[in-house]
Amino acid sequence: MPVLLILILILMPMAVMAFLPGSGGRFWIARLINHFKFSRKHPVSRKTRPCQSTGFSEQPDFGTLNCRARPTKQGTEDSDTIVVEICGTIYTPGDGYYGVVEVSLADVTDQTSEAMPVHCSTKQWQGMGSEVFCYNGDIGRLPEGAARLLDWTAVAQLSIDWLVFPRKGKIRLQLSASILSRKSGEGLACAQSDFIYENPKFGYLDMQENIQQTKSLAVALAFAMGVADGKLLDCEIELIKSWARGNIDDSQISKRTRRKFEKALDKTVAFFRRGNQVDVNEICRGIAEIAPLAERYDILELCMHVAGANGSVVAEEMTVLKKLANQLEIDSDRFRDMMGRILPADMHSVEDAEVLIGVTSGMDKEQARHCLNKEYRKWNARATNSDPQVQNQADYMLKFIAQARSQYIG
Amino acid sequence: MSNIVGIDLGTTFSALAVLNGIGKPQIVPNADGERLTPSAIFFDEEDSELIRVGVEAVNSRHLNFERSVRWIKRHMGDEKYHKKIDGKKWSAVELSALILKKLKQDSSVEYGEINDVVISVPAHFDEVRRKATMDAGVIAGLNVIGIVNEPVAAALYYATTREVCGKVLVYDLGGGTFDVTILDVKGHQMDIVCSQGDHSLGGIDFDKEILKILERSYKQKFKSELINSDEERAKYEDEAEDIKKTLSRRSVAKKMLYGPAGNMKVEITREMFENEISSLTSRIDMLLEVALEEAGVKPSGIDKVLLVGGSSRIPVLQQRLEKMFGFAPETTVNVDECVALGAALHAGLTKLREKPEEVPAGIAASLKDINLIDVCNHSYGTICAPIDKQTGRRVIANRIILKKNTPLPCEASQMFYTMSEGQTVLESTITQGEDTAVEYVNKIATHKFELPPGRPANCPIKVTYRYDLNQRMHCKFEDIESGKVHEVDFCLDQNGEMTPKDVKKQKSKKLKHVKVE
Repeated sequence: MPVLLILILILMPMAVMAFLPGSGGRFWIARLINHFKFSRKHPVSRKTRPCQSTGFSEQPDFGTLNCRARPTKQGTEDSDTIVVEICGTIYTPGDGYYGVVEVSLADVTDQTSEAMPVHCSTKQWQGMGSEVFCYNGDIGRLPEGAARLLDWTAVAQLSIDWLVFPRKGKIRLQLSASILSRKSGEGLACAQSDFIYENPKFGYLDMQENIQQTKSLAVALAFAMGVADGKLLDCEIELIKSWARGNIDDSQISKRTRRKFEKALDKTVAFFRRGNQVDVNEICRGIAEIAPLAERYDILELCMHVAGANGSVVAEEMTVLKKLANQLEIDSDRFRDMMGRILPADMHSVEDAEVLIGVTSGMDKEQARHCLNKEYRKWNARATNSDPQVQNQADYMLKFIAQARSQYIG
Repeated sequence: MSNIVGIDLGTTFSALAVLNGIGKPQIVPNADGERLTPSAIFFDEEDSELIRVGVEAVNSRHLNFERSVRWIKRHMGDEKYHKKIDGKKWSAVELSALILKKLKQDSSVEYGEINDVVISVPAHFDEVRRKATMDAGVIAGLNVIGIVNEPVAAALYYATTREVCGKVLVYDLGGGTFDVTILDVKGHQMDIVCSQGDHSLGGIDFDKEILKILERSYKQKFKSELINSDEERAKYEDEAEDIKKTLSRRSVAKKMLYGPAGNMKVEITREMFENEISSLTSRIDMLLEVALEEAGVKPSGIDKVLLVGGSSRIPVLQQRLEKMFGFAPETTVNVDECVALGAALHAGLTKLREKPEEVPAGIAASLKDINLIDVCNHSYGTICAPIDKQTGRRVIANRIILKKNTPLPCEASQMFYTMSEGQTVLESTITQGEDTAVEYVNKIATHKFELPPGRPANCPIKVTYRYDLNQRMHCKFEDIESGKVHEVDFCLDQNGEMTPKDVKKQKSKKLKHVKVE
């Protein structure tokens, strides 16, 4: 329950920013789609004969052009491809026509809205001036009159790595294949067909929404970090608010929205000041699901700054930080590296060997020796740094490592 | 012809050795007839132009702490360190120069003019500290023809005076620093494999642990502090050193403590001492293991362990070495003198390489077969902006070009690319350190390399670092497309370090008017 409340408080202004004020998300998405729909090089808008739309299970009509997409694995498991096949008839007005095939994809899962374009991650297959996917390839000389393909013939092989879909999960994609004259660009034939694809990655629309949501969750997590030692200090509040303003606030939004945003932050502060708590596990799970690693690093860094805002880190804060690193799926080396930079050992009220040097009680002597030697090598090299602060930190760490060696190895 | 001299400028003691006519190094005693001179300085209270260096300075420290200086080597390269005496500020370099001046002065009485010297430094000393040591020599009126790593000097002396073959580990635990060097020796052919050092681990750290026992014992008995002034601390620091030396010979050391709340007799056993220094011995073990890992050898692959430095006499350390390697370490060379003796040999080799005509025939004949291959003591790199593979973000990082422990002379190149369209300046920073994170490496020089205008991003720039036998670095930045080359010999950054001109000015100003005794 508490986590729900805090998210409502914080997410409300974020949602307003993500989707233009008063318009609603769908409207915004629709505008985005319209922009792509009318982009100059979108193949569907070219001058062509009426397209034959073929469902995957339908029998092809050999009097016209038919197309279909066949998702397939190519060699290793990681290299999924979509094979584009055509069959039927391509009519040519005369002799000497060389043909090219143009292929595009659109997400038509949501029947209530217009099709959303599929983007391309490589410039080679991007439409001019946009990121929309648009493949073309030579298919050679076409016979005069009509070229009839009685079998499904592969004309393109699209790597999944090129494609950026709008949404994650099971999506209905519309494949458009057009045969054009290589010389004049005149459309000779075109076809469309739908197919289902399970997209394992976040789509570009998901990612835009995730960014906002992640930042909201980061603020909630930072406040949770702030109260880890039992009290939310002014310096911690200011740090979080400043981060939120810098990361979430947008100069484009109205004064009214900004006021709402500040109010939501104040309400959040009041919520925590009353001694309320949130479910850190749930927030971390939410972040881990939607945020890429780089953003998770940023969030953990924010939490570290909050923990060290008053100049020291107490045991409770350390426990929360370790938990956050674990649940945000940040590896221990990176975590310790961040700790070394943001919260050097002399800020710790409790010396935790696992946090400082990565030694755990579960390690056997050899593992502990290896780990300690690695840390010793690292800090010993830093001990002659020209920055006195680094020197002091290194001296402190070398003494700590030596003590840990006496304790773990004897 | 001038003398060929080696100087061990130590944290607690210094020594000077000269090559005799047949190329054998020998220690030159100081004016008091002592072979080692304490690296201690005392500014006389009566005569402001009189500076005492040596035993007298150590003793004077108990009487007037403010006018005395010890263990100055630990501050070498620290530009912020100054000792203020009678309104004058003395830097670590100038204070070290006073010690060198005393050594030069004392040895000149018997040997005449002392000019060309090689000064030894800990293997882990970085460029700034090496340069500071050379500057100290220049200020003292010496011609510093080279710098040698202390364990290398010790090994050089050892290998030229004993029949040695195989992998030798030099265990150099001096007054203030600890170095481990592994080398391959085959007759007079010596190849350094690797060096590792700990800059704040030495005899004085063991003394501090004994001092802790003394203070604790006194407090337990009298519920009062034993030490209440800097002078008292100085006195008990020397007492602690004395106890440490006693414990190397006997199992118990006894002392009287004269404190403000009463006097007491304290007995310190070897066991108590060994317990107290356990974290220091852990550090020693780690450095040994790291050096062995770096050399790619197991303890069983080491044929000899050579002890160097006064603190290597501590029995528990020798026992641990015997346990680790399965044989007793070599104690046949004088641990206090072998660095200076080896430095003199190194001076002979340097002179023979650079000005063979100035080397007397007897010395040349003695040294001609010695071949020493040293290594790069640190990693050198540059700052660049690669893309982090994990996050996909561009990050500022240190990229190592020349790796630590590469045999000298060495050269290495790496290709970098311009970042932006129309980039006309490439700021190249030379770094020293092992880290990828830039905040943990030393930026030892920065140079601007101008590039042709109007070019796209990603133009290749080849960066080449070369490290010569005299441990000086040369950097070359090559714009592949235009063929434009920018070459720089290594020089220190504008971090307050002295340029040669400044060094001369300092020499004429401060040391000219003082009398060193």
